Amino acid sequence: MSLLSPEKWQEAKEIFYAALRRTPAEREQFLNESCRGDDDLRREVQSLLSASESAGSFMQNPAVNEIAEALAAKKERIPLNQSLGHYRILNLLGQGGMGEVYLAEDTRLERKVAFKVLPSAFAQDAGRMRRFVQEAKAASALNHPNILTIYETGEFENTKYIVSEYVEGETLSERLHREPLNLKVALDIAIQITSALQAAHRASIVHRDIKPDNVMIRPDGVVKLLDFGIAKLTEKQSDVDLGSEAATAIKINTTPGVIIGTANYMSPEQALGKTVDARTDIFSFGLVLYEMLAGKRAFEGENAIEVISSILQTEAVPLSRLRPEVAHDIERIVGKALRKDREERYQTAKDLLIDLKDAREELQFQKKRERSHAPPRDQVETQIINAATTDAAQSSSRAERIIAQVRNHKLGFIVLSLLVLAGIGLGYWYFSHRISIANQIESIAIMPFINESGNADTEYLSDGMTEALISSLSQLPRLNVKARSSVFRYKGANTDLQQIAKELNVQAILNGRIVQRGGDLSLYVELVDIAMDKVIWSRTYNRQMTNLASLQSEISRDVSNNLRAKLSGPDEQRLVKNYTENSEAYQLYLKGNFEWNKHTREDLQKGIEYYNQALEKDPNFALAYTGLAACYGVLGDEYLPPNEGFPKAKDYAAKALSIDGALAEAHTAMAAVRLYYDWDWAEATEELERAQTLKPNDPSPHLLRSDLLIALGRVDEAHAEVKRARELDPLSRLFNTVDGADSYLGRQYDEAITQLEKTINLDLAFNETYLYLGLAYEQKRMYQRAIETFQKGMSQTERHPQLIASLAHAYAVSGRRDKALKVLDELREISKHSYVSPYLFAVVYTGLNDKDQTFAWLDKAFEDRSLFLIWLKVDPFFDDLRDDPRFQTLLRRVGLPS
Amino acid sequence: MLREWSDGKAEALENLLPLVYAELHRQAASFLRKERPGHTLQTTALINEAYLRLIDRRSVNWQNRAHFFAVAAQAMRRILVDYAKAKHRKKRGGNDIKLSLDGVTLVASKEKGIDLVALDEALDKLSERDKQQASVVELRYFSGLSLEETAEVLHVSRATVARDWESARAWLHRELTK
Repeated sequence: MSLLSPEKWQEAKEIFYAALRRTPAEREQFLNESCRGDDDLRREVQSLLSASESAGSFMQNPAVNEIAEALAAKKERIPLNQSLGHYRILNLLGQGGMGEVYLAEDTRLERKVAFKVLPSAFAQDAGRMRRFVQEAKAASALNHPNILTIYETGEFENTKYIVSEYVEGETLSERLHREPLNLKVALDIAIQITSALQAAHRASIVHRDIKPDNVMIRPDGVVKLLDFGIAKLTEKQSDVDLGSEAATAIKINTTPGVIIGTANYMSPEQALGKTVDARTDIFSFGLVLYEMLAGKRAFEGENAIEVISSILQTEAVPLSRLRPEVAHDIERIVGKALRKDREERYQTAKDLLIDLKDAREELQFQKKRERSHAPPRDQVETQIINAATTDAAQSSSRAERIIAQVRNHKLGFIVLSLLVLAGIGLGYWYFSHRISIANQIESIAIMPFINESGNADTEYLSDGMTEALISSLSQLPRLNVKARSSVFRYKGANTDLQQIAKELNVQAILNGRIVQRGGDLSLYVELVDIAMDKVIWSRTYNRQMTNLASLQSEISRDVSNNLRAKLSGPDEQRLVKNYTENSEAYQLYLKGNFEWNKHTREDLQKGIEYYNQALEKDPNFALAYTGLAACYGVLGDEYLPPNEGFPKAKDYAAKALSIDGALAEAHTAMAAVRLYYDWDWAEATEELERAQTLKPNDPSPHLLRSDLLIALGRVDEAHAEVKRARELDPLSRLFNTVDGADSYLGRQYDEAITQLEKTINLDLAFNETYLYLGLAYEQKRMYQRAIETFQKGMSQTERHPQLIASLAHAYAVSGRRDKALKVLDELREISKHSYVSPYLFAVVYTGLNDKDQTFAWLDKAFEDRSLFLIWLKVDPFFDDLRDDPRFQTLLRRVGLPS
Repeated sequence: MLREWSDGKAEALENLLPLVYAELHRQAASFLRKERPGHTLQTTALINEAYLRLIDRRSVNWQNRAHFFAVAAQAMRRILVDYAKAKHRKKRGGNDIKLSLDGVTLVASKEKGIDLVALDEALDKLSERDKQQASVVELRYFSGLSLEETAEVLHVSRATVARDWESARAWLHRELTK
């Protein structure tokens, strides 16, 4: 068929697509009309339509899904036909995280063998290799017909290999993909696996990695269990003994490009990182049996994390629902193998084997009976009814039991977090040799812990623990800890760690996952050295919620130890200091912080409630007082007259200090009150110094000091302070904006514009970013630009009174008085239902060149003790008034040099 | 460089391809590590990741993104077709990979039936007559973009993309089953 011309092709496409949406009956007429006697066109469309019908799902699944295969395709390490000693490599049978398997010929004994090459990473640890080889050989030495026989292990040119019997056939995994198994075949396979397990367990060998891929089925039906001991290579108990729960710590290391194992067949205790025994094999086997019978896995998920959570938390769909012909006794066997609590599981493979064999006999017996004398119809029905009644009787009691177990189980659920980590490989047991840290880590970002509880209500806990850790580690003098606002930008974003490290300029990143169930809490943390791209330390903490407070200090200590940051005595003391022994109080405090961080009026009120509740539980909990001080400070700044909010803030800060004079946060809170409300520069400076001595890496005091210095007209020093704050918290909205604001107040408008536009481009803008940008434009007499900027600020953020007042001012000074008055009305309207600082009205009136009104409002601002007044000396808004004696008086009253 | 390209310097495309290639390679490998074996790759995520690394995220605008997707789709096509060619060669050598004993079945192709090499050739043919339609196929099939995303990249309506896509599918299917 000749190709249509491009123009005609366009037409053909359209007609084709329109025809597609018509019923075949309508098409004929439609085509007649549309093609108007053009036979070539008509033929092409007709042909496309029939091609479309036969296309089915052609190309519907993007080829890009193959990209991983394409890109990750590894080269075979051993060329075919290569001889290694007396083995000749014939063919690659398979490859994976645990190495490649080749079909080879043993030229000496003239037999085919499976030749498995281990990944070099595993071969480096001699002790581990030895234990693995011992176990593999021990299993092989059992001479069990269902255990793969190992002939030899060896090394050739630094390549470790294992030579074993070559089993022709397919893996159970392949078999399951190919066809569903009938009950008898499934039981046959199950019995052979269990039989192998029984022999191994009797010799105290635990497989640890039972899964369909490790089961080979020969064409004659004989099953061979593969890879005993392999798991020994990949799991390792922590060798850093950090406490009684060290046994739960698992060291994880990533080996780029290597995937080991799959999470789907893990037992709950494996997932929890506990020590495992033979019963782990029983659970994994239960999963395999379930899959053979149900035709699907018991626990699935989008990724390893989900799979693990479902292994830990959910019950598999009952087999009988997926496959009704599965007999009750078989369902019971699977259920008992899959008990999450190993104490409730089959305790031995032997018991399991007995039950499986009984089930098979029962099945055979039934089949035989069905075959030999098909009973008359009514008889069958009677039997079924009988069976149903007995079943019902049994199952009711069984059901009750199961429900009771589920309930108990949920209550006593000790969950833990997953060993699996975002950013690096998931859920695989990598073995690691200990890495020595050449360079001491001096900067770290603690990423927001991931809340795995599946419940947004516990977000305060994951966020709170993160913040607590940031706060606690910030006390280390030689460690630069990125502040909250910098790291929380990445919350939920799944950004590459290297990328984050680059953006934040840190050497290490701490990741964590947290799961809370009832009274139990599990926290998994890992420390990643960015330069080495390695997890240098990781640990799972399983704790009662009642030990929450001490957990935080414990983690701080562990992390700092692993950073090799040397702690002085007092440092250590501060780091592990418990601010409250009462875990309920601590939780309430974390909830309070969570609300506080949201900063809206309602959230602040909620925060206040939580902090107060925390204080009911522990009246001496200084941090909760600091939280209250912070809430009232923000309220007094934004939502209440300062003379209502700040006195409370001051009381609470004082209360916190009376409980704990060495609490940096309390000194910072007090400094804020001294600066913004008392206008006492000396006292503020002193408090800031105390806070900074106690917590050198907290950026907040730098910010306060910058605000103070700029008020006094010390522009360069103010800039230096902001710079320091930004170093500690590079992605902070506030610090980036304050940097620009300082330039504005320092009359460096071009610098202000550059910095603020950069902040907007960085996506860090909030209302004040637009505010100061607009103000800088205004001072450069770029009024239209200023107006647009204020308007943009309102549409991008909120119609904040500050933006509104500034807009009115810009209209006024650019000669659009009517517009200015209209905007002023809006400000008045707002002030009817919420607090608007009188200072902002003064701003508008000074724009309107109404001096009397301006001073009246400034006086009112003074009465309210508006914090804006501290910048009166440098504020460009009031330049026209500076010569007025009233202004000089006001400056003096605020305590500013004229 | 990406921005140069968006400024209309077409030669930047050639220079960019190896970068995109390398980045996708890195990303795919890292995704493979993260994903459960047997799971499909999260394509858009992959491309986005690659994108973020390629261009300073701070200066991203949609224009750049659109260009990036277009380039990435071409890169993907090349990568996949090259791989398919390599596999063909391997098959002739008789060393087909049969199974994976360790449970690490690399992301399995669900489209085993499609001969990517033949598709590539047919697509070239289509492109001679209808460039935009060939781009739709690249974006949808080789880059995994949705109809909406494709429409955004090409600055055309969703309906146009749907029409191009359906007719391309029919046309290509016919070409490949000739």
